[in-house]
Amino acid sequence: MDAPSRVSSGRVAVTEYLEIDLGTETWHCRRCQRALGPARSNYKQGCLVHARDPSTFYPPQVEGERYSFAPDPALCMLVEFYCPGCGTLVETEALPPGHPPTHDIELDLDNLRRHAAGGGTREL
Amino acid sequence: MAVDRATLLAWIKPSPPSAEEMAAAARLAPGDCEIYGEKLNAILDEAADVFVRTGVSSMLHSGDLVVGIYDPAGNMVAASCGVYLHAVTAQLPVKFVCSQFQTEPTVGIHEGDIFYCNDALYGGIHNPDQIAIMPIFHEGQLIAWSCAAVHQPETDAVEPGGMPGSAKSRHWEGMKLSPIKIGERYELRADLLEMMENFMSRAPRMQVVDVRARVTAADRIRRRIQDLAKAVGAPLLAGLFRKLITQSEASARARIATWPDGTFRAVSFADTVGATESLVRAALTARKAGDHITLDFTGTSPENDGPQNAFAHIAAAHVAIYLYAYAFHDLPVSAGTFAPLDFVVPDGCLLNAGSEAAVSQSVYACWQMLTLTPIVFSKMMYASAERNLVSASAGNNHTVPFVYAGMNQWGGKVSDLLGYPFNGEGLGARSDMDGVDCYGFPMAHTGLGPEVEDVETETFFLHLFQNELIDSGGPGKYRGGTGVESALLLYHMPRAVVSSMGATTRVLIGQGLFGGYPPPAVPGIQVVGSDALEKLSAGEALPRDFRELAEKRTLKGQYRFERTARSSRMIGKGDLVSVIASGGAGYGDVLERDPNLVARDAREQRVSPRAAAEIYCVVLDSGSGEADLEETTKRRAEARQARLARGKPWAEFMAEWSKRKPPEDMLSCYGSWPDAKPVRPVVRL
Repeated sequence: MDAPSRVSSGRVAVTEYLEIDLGTETWHCRRCQRALGPARSNYKQGCLVHARDPSTFYPPQVEGERYSFAPDPALCMLVEFYCPGCGTLVETEALPPGHPPTHDIELDLDNLRRHAAGGGTREL
Repeated sequence: MAVDRATLLAWIKPSPPSAEEMAAAARLAPGDCEIYGEKLNAILDEAADVFVRTGVSSMLHSGDLVVGIYDPAGNMVAASCGVYLHAVTAQLPVKFVCSQFQTEPTVGIHEGDIFYCNDALYGGIHNPDQIAIMPIFHEGQLIAWSCAAVHQPETDAVEPGGMPGSAKSRHWEGMKLSPIKIGERYELRADLLEMMENFMSRAPRMQVVDVRARVTAADRIRRRIQDLAKAVGAPLLAGLFRKLITQSEASARARIATWPDGTFRAVSFADTVGATESLVRAALTARKAGDHITLDFTGTSPENDGPQNAFAHIAAAHVAIYLYAYAFHDLPVSAGTFAPLDFVVPDGCLLNAGSEAAVSQSVYACWQMLTLTPIVFSKMMYASAERNLVSASAGNNHTVPFVYAGMNQWGGKVSDLLGYPFNGEGLGARSDMDGVDCYGFPMAHTGLGPEVEDVETETFFLHLFQNELIDSGGPGKYRGGTGVESALLLYHMPRAVVSSMGATTRVLIGQGLFGGYPPPAVPGIQVVGSDALEKLSAGEALPRDFRELAEKRTLKGQYRFERTARSSRMIGKGDLVSVIASGGAGYGDVLERDPNLVARDAREQRVSPRAAAEIYCVVLDSGSGEADLEETTKRRAEARQARLARGKPWAEFMAEWSKRKPPEDMLSCYGSWPDAKPVRPVVRL
């Protein structure tokens, strides 16, 4: 396991595909560096969003049956959040149609800044 | 009188140490904690081994159990798991006995006593989970408690199998024992064993043998601790116990403090509430500040009149399954780990139902915890040194605990669960590797599936096939582990009763992580009156997996595709029933998965050619099966462009999305839409 280290770039990796610029307090894509909006807001609002019918992803194995191996799109959709710069799939959520996407990460930026300055976060 | 639920929740955390305990801990010599802490673990491993070898029911044989050592006040010192949630909840009946019976002259706590219980209102999970508890004395002084717990697959409920889907209140669920003394002077009382045998008339021998197994395991711990006390003295043990608790608390707090402060949220949905089909939501908000975390389940659907309810301590205990296996996997399994955590579980939500509620399927009410907890902790830990512990969810509840009951071919009455289906789930993918294929039971990390040959000897079933289930691992940069599919034929007996439990069939209960996908849903499958036995006798070809069976109908018979949660029904010789363990959820963008790994998965039939092409966008050479890297790069670039073309800006998406809603008839147990607040009273007779 890598040891925690000081973040010299001023950016902290928060997920596999997202980082926060502590100077500008902005979400960025880690693949293409595209800005995705204010870091005090939900990064999903800076993404392109698409609701995928899960039965196209996991197709039915039997026709005409209520229970068919396929999720039911009336009850469940795969909501996908893409980086508008490079098309990376930043996050997915399995949600009933119409259910609000989750504001899943809400960081205390002042704490994160102190955390990064003290070497408490990993390098990007 | 049962304990109020707030007290039960509070008892999960360690009680403050006494001055004597702190003084004893301070007197420990360097190395004492390490040497004698390992001695405790060795005692527990021995007791777990004894436990597995002395019982008869399937979950016991699979190792889905716990044995633990608790201090005189009932705080968990060390446990061998098994099932971490039982390690946590075993504290509660011990604390009940200490608080209610220590000075009660008609009961008391004496050397040689054996206590026993299984009621969730006194700290259990659901009444199949029975626990034996023994006080440990040294020179007349209470120095510790030992516990041994495992699921008993029969409770004398309204249906066989202990987890009746039809239960409407606690009165449908069979035997519920508050902590009672079933033995004195190291001897079990014959009258109370007779009482249990009488309750469990569907499988009396299994009940009595497994009670004795629990007591034997608890007693083995008792004997070893007494030997240790003789060797090193009770004060050293008192100091050791407290130091293990304070050390694990200090270590947990130090680790939590290295994670960024913030609020982390996740939701998960199921579509089954006992016998009813309805969406329900589980919601978790984790607020992390400094070395402390509050886990808040506000937003979870209201309690219901089926069996998929829980109490607050049950919900909290399910968090232990994740914590002890991932975030705090290297810390002592003691009560101290829970000290930095607080829980908010609103009264009236399905995770904290009224005391008359049926809770026999509480584990299904809480199964979504196996999704929610890894998600919120992974998002907390990614920016820390614990990134290698970041993981998508396992336990996606397409796994079907399969109950069978009846007279077996040896002339015995049985009511049991098959041990291997849920001991064969795929694990969630991690930030650095695929999830483990056919990993095990995500509630019992050291559980093992029994041998098929043993199952066929002991039960009336023949396995038509048992395979890794293709495409069952959630896709991602790192793939979720694959699950298992089993086809069971009733073979040795003319008839038997079967049922199964589950929380979803048409909804994806799991959540992928950082762009990974949840694993697929699976139905229940039954072929009534199949000709499989005739084909076997004639040496004819038989189906090799459920896809083939479903698509080609290669067996004669009446096909039923149904919910994974199947009510009790009689099946006949030659009937075929499915048992399927789910895969784990995926991690990261599928388009970043190494094409060579996709080719390998296709070659090994873990991923279908369709999924390789359509989900992973990998071009496989039609001859060699190897990945064509150049064509794959082109196809993936096209796939990214297609995402950019179909994705909509947030405001545009939400304007359309927020007008949608699931069908009203699927919201009967959900609560108000979409915030899941109670909208109707629950009436229980």
